[in-house]
Amino acid sequence: MRDVAIIGVGMIPFGRRDEDTLMDMLAYASLKALDDARLGEKSVDAVYVANMGGGILQRQTAIASSLVDRLSLLPAAAETIENGPASGASAIKNGMLGIAAGFYETVLVVGGEKMREVTGWRATDFVASMTHPQAEYPYGITLPGMAGMFTRLGMEKHGVTREHLLAVSLKNQEMGTLNPYAHVEMALDRDGIFDSPHAVVNNPTSADPLHLYDLCPVSDGAAAIVLSSVDFAKKLGKPYAVIAGFGQATDTHTLAEREDPTDLKAVTLAAQQAFAMAKIKPADIDVGMWPNYTMPLPSSKSPRVNMSVFSRRGRAAKPPQPVRLVSVVRSRSTSPAA
Amino acid sequence: MPVDLELEAVLRPIQYPMVPYPPKVITLANGKKMVVRQAVREDVPEILKSVHPCLFIERDYYDIVSARLYGELLAWYRYRVKSEYCLMGQVDGFLVGVVNGRMENEKVGMSYHTLAIDRGLRIGSHLFAAKMEYHMEYLNQEEVLIVAESPIGFRRWMIEYPLEKTTIPHELGGGDSYRLTREIYFNAKPRLVVGDRPVPQELMDEATTAIKFADDDTIRERIAGLKGR
Amino acid sequence: MKKEIAITAYKCRKCGKLHYPFHDRCLECKGREFEKIKPQGNAKLLTYTAIFNLPWGFDQRFLIIGVAEFENKVKAMGQIKADSVDQLKVGMKVKPSWEPVRVQYGEDVYGLKFEPMK
Repeated sequence: MRDVAIIGVGMIPFGRRDEDTLMDMLAYASLKALDDARLGEKSVDAVYVANMGGGILQRQTAIASSLVDRLSLLPAAAETIENGPASGASAIKNGMLGIAAGFYETVLVVGGEKMREVTGWRATDFVASMTHPQAEYPYGITLPGMAGMFTRLGMEKHGVTREHLLAVSLKNQEMGTLNPYAHVEMALDRDGIFDSPHAVVNNPTSADPLHLYDLCPVSDGAAAIVLSSVDFAKKLGKPYAVIAGFGQATDTHTLAEREDPTDLKAVTLAAQQAFAMAKIKPADIDVGMWPNYTMPLPSSKSPRVNMSVFSRRGRAAKPPQPVRLVSVVRSRSTSPAA
Repeated sequence: MPVDLELEAVLRPIQYPMVPYPPKVITLANGKKMVVRQAVREDVPEILKSVHPCLFIERDYYDIVSARLYGELLAWYRYRVKSEYCLMGQVDGFLVGVVNGRMENEKVGMSYHTLAIDRGLRIGSHLFAAKMEYHMEYLNQEEVLIVAESPIGFRRWMIEYPLEKTTIPHELGGGDSYRLTREIYFNAKPRLVVGDRPVPQELMDEATTAIKFADDDTIRERIAGLKGR
Repeated sequence: MKKEIAITAYKCRKCGKLHYPFHDRCLECKGREFEKIKPQGNAKLLTYTAIFNLPWGFDQRFLIIGVAEFENKVKAMGQIKADSVDQLKVGMKVKPSWEPVRVQYGEDVYGLKFEPMK
C-alpha cells in the first residue's frame, strides 16, 4: 500500500443557495479543488461524489456521472457514495483506497448537499429516513430527537448540564464569525440565549434537552479535494498533505440495541484504527474536529463512523510536521464533505 | 386637487378607540436590544421606505407579504381602513421588523402581516407575539383571526401556538382563518410572549428620535443574500 | 378495543441474546435460529426527548418519544403519552399500549405508546 496525498482543496460558502442547483454546487467546489491542485487541463482517473439527499430531495441519481460530464473529465470513472451523513468521509476513503492500491494516480472527491430545496419539515423527514423503517421511523423520531435522547443519557450518566452545552454553542458560533464559508456568521450572546427570560423565545427547545442553538443549521454547500499518489504530488511543486490514517466502524442500527448508547463504540473503534495506522497517540494531536449534528455529544445516530488523521508534509518529504489534524467524521446532515 | 372633506367623511371608515400599546424591550440572541413600539400614522411614509425593497424578493413570499403590507399601511395613512395599527421593532434605532393588524369589531381582531427585515434572530416571532399581546391584553379582544402566507409563518403561528382551525373566511382572501382565543393565548404566553417594561429612557430616546433605515441593498442582502441566516 | 402489542422480538436459540428488531444472524454468536418473543408486562423508561421540529406528516406542536425496556428485557422505541417532559424521569415505570402513532396515506399506522405509571 502506498501513501496518498491531498494536492488540492475547494469549498464554497455554505448557506441557503436558492440560485444554485446541487450540480452547480458540486461543480463549483470541484473546479476550485482542481485549480488548487494545478491540474490544468489534465483529467483525473476517478471521481467520487458524496451525497445523501440527491435521490430524495432533488430526484436525481447517478450524480457522479453527471458531474464528470459537466466538468469535462470524461472518461473518468464515476461513483456516487451514499453512506448517510458519513458519506463525505466514506468517499474520501474510497478515493484513497484506489490510489493506495496503486490502481489510480489522481482522484477527485467532492461532497455536496442541497437541503434547502425543501421546507424544514421535508428536510427533517428526509434525514429521519436513516432511522429504522419499522422500529423507529414511524414514531416521528428525528435526528435531533435521537441526539436529544443521547444527551439525556449523558446528563444522567456523566453529569452533562445545559451550561456545558451552552459553552460549546457559544464557542462554535464565535468560530462561525471567523469562517468565511460558515452558514451562520453571527456571534451569540449568553444573556440572549440562556440567562435572560427572553431566551425562551430566542433559543427554544428543539429536541429536549437540546435547544435551537445546540443544533447545526440546515445548509446547502459543497466541498472537494483532489487526491494523488505522493510521487505525483512531488512533481507538482507545491505543498501537499498526506493522509496518515483512517478508521471506520459500524454500530447497531437502532438506538435501543446499543450496548451503551453514551459510549459510541463505533467512534472509539474508528479512532483507534486511525491512530494505529498513523502511528500516533491522541496526545500528538493539535487540532481535532468532530463534524456532527450536535457538537457536545457525538449524538446523531449514523451507525457508520469514519475517522481520518491527516499529517502535513512539506514538498521535500520531510518528517511529519507538528500540525496534525484529526477529523472524526460521523454524522452531519448538512455537510457531507469531510 | 384639494381633498374634498365632505366626500372624505363619507369614504372614511369609522375608527374604534384603541388604547396605545405600551413599548417593551427584548434581548435578542445576539445580545442586542430590540425596542417594540407602536407606530403612529405619521410614521407610515418612513416605514414604507423599508418595506419597498422587500417587494422584489420572491424568497419566502417576501414579495406578497410586503406588497400587501405596503397597501395596508398606505390605506391606514390615507384613511381607507378601519382601526388599523402597526407595531415596529427597532435595534439601535434601525427598523428590523413590522407587524400590523386591525380591529374587525370590538371582540374580533384581524391579523394582517409580519415582516422581518433582519433575519435569524426570531424577530418575526417576537413581533407576531407582540401583536397578539396587543389584541388580547390591551384591546381586550375575544379572538384574533389569522392566515399564513408562507410555510415559515404556518409553522410559527399555526403549530407553535397552536391556533385553532375555523371555517371563517379571512380578509386577506386566501383560505379559512385560524383563530387565537384568549385561552390559547394565555397558555402560549409563557413560552412565546416576552419583553420588559418600561423601556429604559435612553433606548426609548434612540428609537423615537428617528426611525433609521438600512439602504435597499443592505435590506435585500439581509433577507435574500448568500449569507442569509 | 385494546389492541395487542404487535411487535416481535427474537431470542437466539444458541446463545439466548434478545434482539428487536429482526437480524438475520445473532449479533452475539451469528446464530440463525431465533425464538419469537412477545414483549411482556410493563416497561422501564430508559431515555426520552420532546421533539418540537417534527417531520412532514405530523401536525402537532411536539411529540414525546422514548426508549423503554419491558419486563422480559425487550427494548423498543415508542411515543410517550405525557403533556410535558417534566412528568418524566429516566427509570420510571411506563405502561405500554398499541395505538395509532401517525397517519400515512389517510390510514392510521399503529405502534408502541408508553404511559407513565403513578
